[in-house]
This record gives sequence, C-alpha cells and structure tokens, in this order.
Amino acid sequence: MDSLISNLTILFLLLPPIVGAGLVTVLKKKRTIGIITICTASLILVQVLLLVSKIVSEKTITAFGNTFYVDSLSAVILLSVSVVGFVAALYSKNYMGRQYDNGTVDDKHIVRYYQGFNVFLLTMLVVPIANNLGIMWVTVEATTLVSVLLIMLYFKENAIEAAWKYLIIATVGLSFALIGTVFFYYANINANTSEDAMNWTGMVHDAKHFDPNLVKIAFVFILVGFGTKAGLAPMHTWLPDAHSEAPTPVSAILSGVLLNCAFYGIIRFHIVSSASIGPEFSSQLLIILAVVSIGIAAASIYFQKDMKRMLAYSSVEHMGLISLGIGFGGLFGIYGAILQIVNHAMAKPLMFFASGSVNQKYEAKAMSKIKGIIRVMPVTGILFLIGGLALVGMPPFNVFLSEFMILSSGFKSGQFIATSLVILFLVITFAVFLRHLLKMIFGNPLSEMKKGEMGKLAIIPMAILCSLVVIFGIFIPAQLQTLIHNASTIISGGGFA
Amino acid sequence: METMQFDVLTISGAVLLIATFGIVATRGFMDWLNAYRYQSIVLSGVTAIIGYVTGIWEIYIAAGLTLVIKSIIIPKVLTYVTRKLEIEFKLETNPYVSIRASVIISALLVALSYFLIQQIPFKSDQIVNAYLPVSMAQFFIGLFVLVNRRTVLSQVVGLLIIENGLFLFAMALTHGVSLLIEVGIFVDILVGILISSILLFRISRTFDSLDVGKLENLRDD
Repeated sequence: MDSLISNLTILFLLLPPIVGAGLVTVLKKKRTIGIITICTASLILVQVLLLVSKIVSEKTITAFGNTFYVDSLSAVILLSVSVVGFVAALYSKNYMGRQYDNGTVDDKHIVRYYQGFNVFLLTMLVVPIANNLGIMWVTVEATTLVSVLLIMLYFKENAIEAAWKYLIIATVGLSFALIGTVFFYYANINANTSEDAMNWTGMVHDAKHFDPNLVKIAFVFILVGFGTKAGLAPMHTWLPDAHSEAPTPVSAILSGVLLNCAFYGIIRFHIVSSASIGPEFSSQLLIILAVVSIGIAAASIYFQKDMKRMLAYSSVEHMGLISLGIGFGGLFGIYGAILQIVNHAMAKPLMFFASGSVNQKYEAKAMSKIKGIIRVMPVTGILFLIGGLALVGMPPFNVFLSEFMILSSGFKSGQFIATSLVILFLVITFAVFLRHLLKMIFGNPLSEMKKGEMGKLAIIPMAILCSLVVIFGIFIPAQLQTLIHNASTIISGGGFA
Repeated sequence: METMQFDVLTISGAVLLIATFGIVATRGFMDWLNAYRYQSIVLSGVTAIIGYVTGIWEIYIAAGLTLVIKSIIIPKVLTYVTRKLEIEFKLETNPYVSIRASVIISALLVALSYFLIQQIPFKSDQIVNAYLPVSMAQFFIGLFVLVNRRTVLSQVVGLLIIENGLFLFAMALTHGVSLLIEVGIFVDILVGILISSILLFRISRTFDSLDVGKLENLRDD
C-alpha cells in the first residue's frame, strides 16, 4: 500500500509537465499556453512542497521498484527546480509577450518555447529522483538537448553560435560522464552480482568492495563530464555564451537550477567514491577545480562588458563555491555547500529576470550603454541592486551565510592555501561586480527614456525571489534546516542519513 | 575453437579501426558518411559477436538497433539535410593539422589507448582485451576529429565517432548496461543529430559558411 502511494506521488509529480506540453501543442493560442505553463509549474511546486515535507519526516521514498529514489539531497534539488520553474513560468508570460509584440518571435516560436519549457522542467525533475545512474545520465543529456532547442529559438547569429557550442561541448563532456558511469557500474558488477548494480543505492551499499584504482579513474571521468555541464572551469567555455543568448527565463533556469542538477550528479558519485576509497581523493580534485573556477570567474568578471555574461561568470563562481564546500567536507562545509545550492537558485534567477527587463527597456546588453536604471525603472532597479548585493555575498543577504560557512570550514579543515586564494578572488569579484552594478543602477540614462516598469508579471516573480533572498539571509525555516542537515549527513556520512 | 574466436574478435576490432581511419584520411562529407555507415555495420556485427560470446539475448536487440539507427537512419538524415548545401561547404579544405599528420596522430592515439587500457586493472576477459582499446581509440580519434577539423559537418562526424566508441566501450566492458538505458541513449543520439542538423542548416544560411572559425562573435572582450 505504502509503495502504491509513493508510486502515485512520483507519477503525479511527473504528469503536469507532460500534460502541459501536450496541451500547449494542441491549443496553440498565445495567451492560453502561457497560462497553462504557469498552471503546470504551480502544480509541480505544490507537489514538490508536499513531497519535501514528507521527506523531512520520512527521509527517503522509493518508487517503481527501485527506479526512483528520493532522499533529502534529491529534495533540495527538486525544491530549487520547482521554485525557479514556477517563477520562470510567471516571468515568461510577460517576457515572451513583449518579445512577440516587438516581432522577435512569432506564433510558431511561442508554441515551441512553451513546449520546450514544459519538457525542460520534466527532464530536470527526473534527474534528482532517478536512482538508476544510467537513467540519470540519459536525462541530463536530455536537458542539454531541450535547452539547446530553447536557445536556438531566436534566429540571431549569436544565438545559433551559442547553441552550437553548447551542444557540442556539453555532449562531448557528458560522454566522459557516461564512461565514468560505466566504470562505476563495472566496479560494482565485479564486486557483487546483485540485481541493482546500476542503482545508486546499490553502489553505495557495495562501494567498500570496489577496486580503488578503478574508482579513481571513474571519478575523474565523472568530474570532467558532469563538471562540464555544471560549468566548472576550465570546462565552462560554453556557459557564458549559452546563458547570455538564451531567452531570459531560460537563462534563469539554466543558471539557477540546471547547473545544480549537473552538480548533483557529481555529488552522487562523490558519495560513492568516498564510501569506497575515502573522501580525500575526490575532495582534493573538487577543491582544485573550485579554486580554478573561482579564479577564472574573478578574472572574467573584471574584464566583462556584457551584463548577462557577467551574471553567467558569477554562476561559474558559485558552482566553484559549492564544489569548494563539498571538497572541504565536514558537516559545516557541506551544509554550507547545500545552502549555497539553495541560495544560488534564488539569487541568480532574480538577477537574470532583472537583467532581462533592463535589456528589454534599454534594448542593450552592453553595460556601458546602461545607466540610471533606478531612475528609469525604480522597482526593478532596487530589486537588481538587492540581487547583486546578495550575489557577491554582502551581509545580511542569503549568500553571505553560505559563503561564510564554506570558507570557515576551509580554515577548520586546514586548507589554508586554497581558502586564502579563494578569499582573494572573492574580494576581487566583490569589488568589480559591485562597480559594474552600481554604474548601471545609478547615474543618468545616456538618452532620454520613458519612465516605467515592464509590467506587473515581470515584477512579481522578482519580488518573490527577492523576499526569499532577504528572508533566508536572516532566518531559515526549521523544516528546510532539517532537510539541509539531512542532506549534509548523507554526503558526509557515506550515503544514508 | 578458442583461437578462432580470438581471431574473429581481433579482426573485427581491426576492421572498426580501419573504418575510423577512413574518416580521418578523407576530406569530403560523403566519404565520412560512407565510412561511418561502414563502421556502424561492423559495430553492429561486433555487438552481435559479444552477444554470442556472452549469451545475453538483450545484446542482439542492441545490435539490431545499432544497425537500423546508425547505419541507415542517421546517414539518411544527414544526407537529406545537407543535400541543399553547396558542395564547397562539404569539403574539409583547411584542417588545423594536415591529413597526413592526422593519420599519424590517430595511429599514435591508438597506441596510447592500448597503453592506457593496460594500466587499468580489468579482469582478464577476451572481449575486454579485444575491444576495449579499440573503443578508447575511437573515442580519442573522435575527439581529435572534433577539434582538428574546421567545418561544422566534421564536428558532427566527430561526435558520431565518439558515440560509437562509447557504445562499444559500454558493450565490451559491462556487456551492455540494461536495455532500457541503451534505448534512452539511442534516443538521445538521434535527437541530438536531428538538432545538430537543424543547426547546421541555420549556420550555413546565417553565416554563409560552415567554417567553425567564423563562429566567434561571442567573446569576452
């Protein structure tokens, strides 16, 4: 009986985006399909909230035999997917409406956009709940394909170039991840002959019997593979292109949650590898990539001229921080990393939405052409400012807390060189990012502009995210604290909370 | 019997490598497609051999899928989408490394993969010994084709070689991950190829070229 309920839970969770995509295809009317997508996204959000509260009390749910496995770690990712999916659907209605009005997209493209949006949500919902690591790989690859379609919605040269680079680099990257997955699978079928050799739960269970050398090679492949998709430097080169050329709501999802989904893959294998050969090997690699990522992000933000590319590099930095937290280890560092996943999923979409509105108003992405946002669009300006301050880790906003936890765990675990380097890079990023941001927000607009916001539906999603950013800086709800704590114990404690 | 089986394994592995070299050594897109088709047919045969040796029936299905999707559908799709492209777009006239040097590098890559596979502690097994180095070599050569060639079309071909290498790798090492996942992987490839052919077409129209060097509008400076 119990398993029937959990089967239904998973089924109903995955149903709305499928039905939504179908309805969009059939109905085709611009107004209706926008509303349908908002409905599917809110249905997903409600179900995920229910599921998460269930996970907080019961810790794990399995469904359809052992195909789906939801634990606290999956719940954190599901939470970020559903929240960002919901606000992005809200924002899409206004944004795509305006793109339609100014002739950038036509009816056919709008239908394609909403189809893609629904399927994109579906694939990102499956990634965190798939127990079978092969299925996880297939869905991560599927997220690439769908998001490529969403990026190439526009016929612009830049969008086509970005889509091409993204498709090639991400696919090649993920082929490394597949090799890594097959290596882990091979290690597992050599260690035992149980039925679920491809399942994550099975791997963690038997990890002690894996051949250590094989595990090391496998983890390197996994790190390169999913690291490419998660935007860790030096495999991040597709990221700024794709994130800056996609339609704004898609950029928000790509940056805010798709990176998290890919990083989730690394975390799962990090747990297996730690259970097998101890955490030192994989942690060391994670720390190295983290320092490189944060350094490259700092340098790129320093020289940046384009608003959305700057935000994209800030995502590289945040992924680096998550990787750093996981690498430093200890309950404190891992807690910080998971919190960073959540915080990133709130702050980054906020910034992308704001920059999308600014972009539509100023019809420019170059930061030198954008001045005086706060005079032209006061509400968006304030939200943009708060989001930016949160992003660089200014107290009292949410990112400060997680960054602080990660860095202090670095000193605690004795990684002085890595931590000091990262602090140096973060200080550079802080100063440069703020300078770019303040130049855009204050001052006088270069030309005479009509004052006015981009519409209520553009403001509401940002306001939701902004209130989350502010609230989470001051206090985190008890349920979420338990969830993050459980997720951290899964990582530090060898797989099971 | 044992030695004959061994011969079949070695020879089929060698034939796969020859097909891969066929792509490295030619300049025209149609030649690549033919070599790819040939490679996929051999790959499907190799898969069937693995199925025969291990006695797992699911592998025969994978072999059938390989034959249908990779040696019939994908080449057809690619021929169809590129039929309107001008002939000059379909020729690799100016690779970063010359064709002759490419062949030598590919040969070195083959040697490298044999060397690497020896370093990894695998259980000794005929199939692993015969095919794993070949699959690694395909993977590396695919990567090399991807970065060395300048036309967008050859990047697609590079991806296809990589993918064949991956497939053989999974087959040889673990005798196939479960069928469901293999179908998933096949669908991913097929959709990926469809998307890339749409993109190909758009690139040729928007940029009036298929040279990867032209794709450099997006920069940080």
